[in-house]
Amino acid sequence: MDERRPGPRRRRRGGPTALDFAVLTAVLSVIGYVGYRVNSVLVYQWDWSTIPGYFFRRDPKTNEWVANLLIKGLATTVRIAVWGMILSTVAGVLLAFARTSRRLLPRLVGWAYVGFIRNIPPVPFLFLFYFFISTQLMPILGIDRFLAHASPGTLSVMQVLFGDVALIPNFASGVICLSLMMAAYIAEIVRAGIESIPKGQYEAGYTIGLSRLQITWYIVLPQAVQRVVPPLTGQLITLIKDSSLVALISIQELSFLAMEIAISERRFFEVWIVTGLMYFVICYSLALLMRRLERRAAAHGR
Amino acid sequence: MSSVASPEGDAGAPRAQSRTHSVPWWRSAWFDVVQFVLLLGLIAWFAWRGADAMGYRWQWYRVPGFFYRKVDGAIIWGPLVNGLVVTLEIAAWGLVLTLVIGLVTAILRLSDSLAGRALAVGYLEIVRNTPLLVQVSIFYFVLQPLLGFNNPLWAGIICLGFFEGAFASEVIRGGIMSVVRGQWEAGAAVGLSPSDNYRFVILPQAVPIMLPPMAGVLINLIKHSAVLSFVAVFELTTEARNLIGDTFLSFEVWFVIGIMYLCLTISLSALVAWLERRVRSRG
Repeated sequence: MDERRPGPRRRRRGGPTALDFAVLTAVLSVIGYVGYRVNSVLVYQWDWSTIPGYFFRRDPKTNEWVANLLIKGLATTVRIAVWGMILSTVAGVLLAFARTSRRLLPRLVGWAYVGFIRNIPPVPFLFLFYFFISTQLMPILGIDRFLAHASPGTLSVMQVLFGDVALIPNFASGVICLSLMMAAYIAEIVRAGIESIPKGQYEAGYTIGLSRLQITWYIVLPQAVQRVVPPLTGQLITLIKDSSLVALISIQELSFLAMEIAISERRFFEVWIVTGLMYFVICYSLALLMRRLERRAAAHGR
Repeated sequence: MSSVASPEGDAGAPRAQSRTHSVPWWRSAWFDVVQFVLLLGLIAWFAWRGADAMGYRWQWYRVPGFFYRKVDGAIIWGPLVNGLVVTLEIAAWGLVLTLVIGLVTAILRLSDSLAGRALAVGYLEIVRNTPLLVQVSIFYFVLQPLLGFNNPLWAGIICLGFFEGAFASEVIRGGIMSVVRGQWEAGAAVGLSPSDNYRFVILPQAVPIMLPPMAGVLINLIKHSAVLSFVAVFELTTEARNLIGDTFLSFEVWFVIGIMYLCLTISLSALVAWLERRVRSRG
């Protein structure tokens, strides 16, 4: 780390610098000012007592602890992220193949799609596609009909996989919207992975008489996967974060429910701080896990 | 971030044989382009048919009125133009804030100071690992009343500045690190203080490297400004939502908004591509 660091001197060990004092003073004064504003000017009455009740509550009928809105929202967010990751990886790999195809038509289609998604802001895209998907695609998929005729056993499996059965159409639209968006970014990652395989690998494959499909399957993909997995994990974190945007189209995930609680309880400070912490814990632990795996992979020489 | 590179330009490595002999017409590039245009037409037709099947009444003639109206010879700007102006305002001020925050964070991270590095890393991890929507909510619902100002627009701009500042700081750090170590030593050898060294030796070399990714940060700033429609900031997306609430012309308005954003971002993307080419050709 020290070697890569610019600067004429090596990093000094021990001994606080003038900058240390400046930074500490700045941080302490900000904390002090905020504390002064909260306690003396706003005289804000902190009330954290209702928050735990939104994680778990006691069911009045059975007298058991059950998950309440915040945990339910978190579960929906995780479900959106997992299904979104699966869908968008499949779509992204297909798009990446289209973009590296020898024919112009798939290249054009992939280029147009990726360019469109990467240049349009996520929020208008979500509104536009939610409108299309909920009015056009959902009737075609027939989820409502399927749910109406499903057996109780199927329904309980669906409940585990997709959350509250009544909200599945809503959930599915959100997942599809997010996946359409994320697929373009994953396509670029996978494409970079495919293109990083040197040309000699293809030529070697042709020399021993493999077909193009065989070369892709046996030679290119196994090597590309190793290079693609780390950035894909980063994309999962992005997906968890971006899943909060579907709150704008009323998908009942963590941010949406947090907003509802904040409004009904009139506890904006507490609810948003807790929600931010929940996202942070999930994303940061994923990021740490990713770094560890990467370091281990590097230590093993891939 | 350059997403307007031509599809021919980034053809994949796997192009085995060059096409020297003549190809039949159904394998020619022209035929592919024709098919592509047909495909786009097909998608448009499906969208139009789908809307028709819902009994949607197209009222495109009302759209120009959303941009401007002439009342007694004077032009009154419509909601879409007002929204666009606010979006550009957010992007401009947001960029200034982003650059300042990014530069300070980068310098703190590269500094000798333990507290400085801890502050920078803490800030980066918090911004990177929480959703922008939650950050916007915290700035709007928590920090705004806490710091005692009542201005949603500036709460939004400051929030975006902090959000993009994290990414800008990585760009700036990358640029500074890319200046070889000997330059620092040379600067120190002729007796420059660290700040003069930054000013006269390091930054002039680092800035050209930072420019293309920085333009990417600006594009993201425009894209992310739409998230501010979650709170009461009257930028382009908010104006569009209000307009749809008033007129129920969802298709027309979202279509127009999409084109407006695309024009903004694609022209900036083209600028990035041009900058990248220029930096590369300079060596």
